[in-house]
Order: sequence, then C-alpha cells, then structure tokens
Amino acid sequence: MLQAIARGDESALAALYDRYRIILFSLILRILHDRHEAEDVLQEAFLQVWRRANDFDSSRGRAFTWLVTIARSRALDRLRTISSRSRIIDEREPGGEEAIDAAQQAVRSEQGELVREALKELPEEQRRTLLLAYFEGLTQAEIAARLGHPLGTVKTRMRSGLIKLRELLRDRSRGFV
Amino acid sequence: MEHSEYQELLALQAMEVLDAHQARSLRAHLESCADCSRELAELRDAAALLAHEAEPAMPSDEVRERILRGLQTESRPIVGQPSKVLSLPARRPSSFWQTTLRLAAAVAFVALLLGIAILWRRDVASRRQMDELARQVNRQQRELQIGRDNQARQGEALALLSSPDGSRIALAGTETAKTAHATFVYDQKSRHGMLMIEGLPATPSDKAYQMWFIPKGLAPIPGGTFTVSADGRALVSDNIPVQAGFAPVVAITLEPQSGSAAPTMPIYLASPAS
Repeated sequence: MLQAIARGDESALAALYDRYRIILFSLILRILHDRHEAEDVLQEAFLQVWRRANDFDSSRGRAFTWLVTIARSRALDRLRTISSRSRIIDEREPGGEEAIDAAQQAVRSEQGELVREALKELPEEQRRTLLLAYFEGLTQAEIAARLGHPLGTVKTRMRSGLIKLRELLRDRSRGFV
Repeated sequence: MEHSEYQELLALQAMEVLDAHQARSLRAHLESCADCSRELAELRDAAALLAHEAEPAMPSDEVRERILRGLQTESRPIVGQPSKVLSLPARRPSSFWQTTLRLAAAVAFVALLLGIAILWRRDVASRRQMDELARQVNRQQRELQIGRDNQARQGEALALLSSPDGSRIALAGTETAKTAHATFVYDQKSRHGMLMIEGLPATPSDKAYQMWFIPKGLAPIPGGTFTVSADGRALVSDNIPVQAGFAPVVAITLEPQSGSAAPTMPIYLASPAS
C-alpha cells in the first residue's frame, strides 16, 4: 500500500487512512488529550506519509511501526508546543469512542488485548516507566525525577521492560497490522 | 565503545530516550553492525505496539475529507532514490549541427537568465512603487484626520464666538515673531477657550509653544503646550484657570517640549495689558 502511495495513488492513501485511523488517532489523543489538536495532528501525520512514503523501506521495519513512529513523533512535537503555550488540563477527552466501526473495534481489541495482556505480565515499575516514556515523551532524566528513582534504575527498567515485552509479543504479534 | 555497550543502548533508542550524543554514537555503530540493526528494528516494533494501550477513539469524518483535499495542494510524493546517480551515455564526437544546437541552447539559457533578471528588477521596482503608494495613502489619511480635527475645532471656535457669553482677546506678535497674530475666544461662564494662531515660526523639534494666562500683578499661570503647522497655524483648546480672573493677559512663549512651570523663553505673542 505504501508503494502505491509512493507512486502518487490517492486511493491507496485513503485506504491506508481507513485501516489505521483508529489506532493512530487513539495514540495521538492519548498523548494530547484534546480531540481538536489530535485530529489536526492526524491530518499532518497522513500528509507526511503522503510526502515521505518513498522513504519507507520494508526490509528495515514494519509499515505499522513506521506509521506509529510518525504519528507519535508529530503528537509529541505538538505536545511540546502546546505545553510551552499553556499547561494541558490532564483530562481524557470524552466522546468519539461510541462511533467506532464494529469490525475495526474487533480487530483493534484483539491486538490491544494481546498488548495489554503482555504489559500486565511486566513488573509494575517496568510497565510504568515504558508508558511514561511512550505516551508522555519524557526523557530518562525526567522519568527518574517524576518517579523519584535513580537514573540507572530507570534505564534498566526501560531496557528490561521493552526486551521482555518483545519476547512476550514475538510469537503472538505475528500477523499484526 | 564495545559492541555489548551498544547493545545496552538499543532498547533505549527504540523508546527514543537516548540523548543526542549517545544516539549519534549508536547510529555510527549501526552502519557497520547488522545484528544491532536487526535487534533495534525488533525492539522498535515492540515499542510501536504500545500504541494499542491507548483507549480506542474515532476521528471525525471531516478529517478524512481534509486529508484528501490536502493532497491536492501538497507536492506529489517524492519518487525515486534521490541519492542514486544515473550513468550518462558515452560522449560521441560532435557534429556541426550538434555544436550549433548547443550554442543555440546556451544563447537561449543566457536570454532566459537575462529575462529572469529583468523581471526580478521590475518586481523590485513595482514593490517600491507599492510601498510609496502605501506611504502616500497613509500620509493622506493622516492629513485628512488632521483636517477633521481642525474642522471640529473651528466649529468649536465658532460656537464660542456666537455664544452670548463669548468674549475675544487679540494677541499680537512681539519683536521675536513680528508677523504672528492670534485670537483667543472664550466663554465667560464655562471659562473654556480656543486660541487661533497664524504666522508663528515652525516649532523646533525639541520645543513646544506654551500658552500663559497672566492675571494683573500676579505671576503667569501655565496653560497647554502645542506645535504649529508648516505654515505657522494652530488651533488650541484650553480652559482659563480660575486664578487668572476673567480678562487675563494671554501670552505665548517657546518652551521645552514638556512645558514649563514659569516662562523661560522670549514671548512670541501677547495680548495687550488691560
């Protein structure tokens, strides 16, 4: 699909959007907690995909990873811009979930369940450290300050947590988007 | 740094928490280490799956439309490997026509460059003209506003003159400003007055003219400051201080811009002492 987009096929981009809109929007919204900003960033992310589809190299990683990386990176950039303007009210934005397409929801739930189950198997501190880095874009030092733990401990927890998560998901994630 | 030390950094790089120096160092290592590159790709895949931890949410339909509409104004996707160097066919001996064509192409290219340069200069010239026009419009607007203010003051002066309680005091130029003259019209009840001046020298940039009310036998009482137009005219509104009585001497001096508490410079205009 990304190859077709790289050739300038607009319908391929529309199909890619339909397939990944929920997971990418959910990720962006989790980072920004603001529907308006999240929709804006989702739009930016897909326009970046359109411009840069040719950069994607399937031998170096999955399309899903590439898309998620673009969306997360855009969302964290926006978060930093917003944070410099004003503090974000830490409330999850309600609404929207009820409109989820049933089939998409089923697929997403299955994948989401696998990840949640795997995360549950991680020690709490490892899980927390990973989620802080992933959804809040905090640096190692910021996480250490937030949790009140030494920097070395934070690094070890993040490293061990991600490696264990990879092991847990390695077999189960086969066939993931 | 040893291979094992780089391996320690891979998970942190997949989570994008390495500092710039570490990330740079690791990138250099990845160039020559296929094992680490593969391991990093796997760890990135695992990190990307954390996105599923977010609660599902649906964007509004409008976003899809905006994206597809946005494609029309976006540049096309960047196709092809920009770094790939295309091999050129071997050069063949040039014929007369080839040489002529090359010369013609070179002349056309130079003409194109000249054309661009001329257009650019025209563009610069037209921008200057636009700026000048904008300045003229601003100037005219300012003059129009000044005209409106003057008109309002003239109306005020006429109202004072036609008032049953209206009075007037004539001011004559002194030795310092022989051609200057002015009239101060005022309402005896409200003590509001208007000074109409002609023929004063232009106001120096760091100075202002100041009005004075001089009661008989007392020190001058300071009034407002003002500047005159290029032709030496001014229309100044002021109130006669109560201490100045009903028929004070009115005088004008040149003072520092902020005005003075007591006159410091020669008198330019004054009404005769009663």
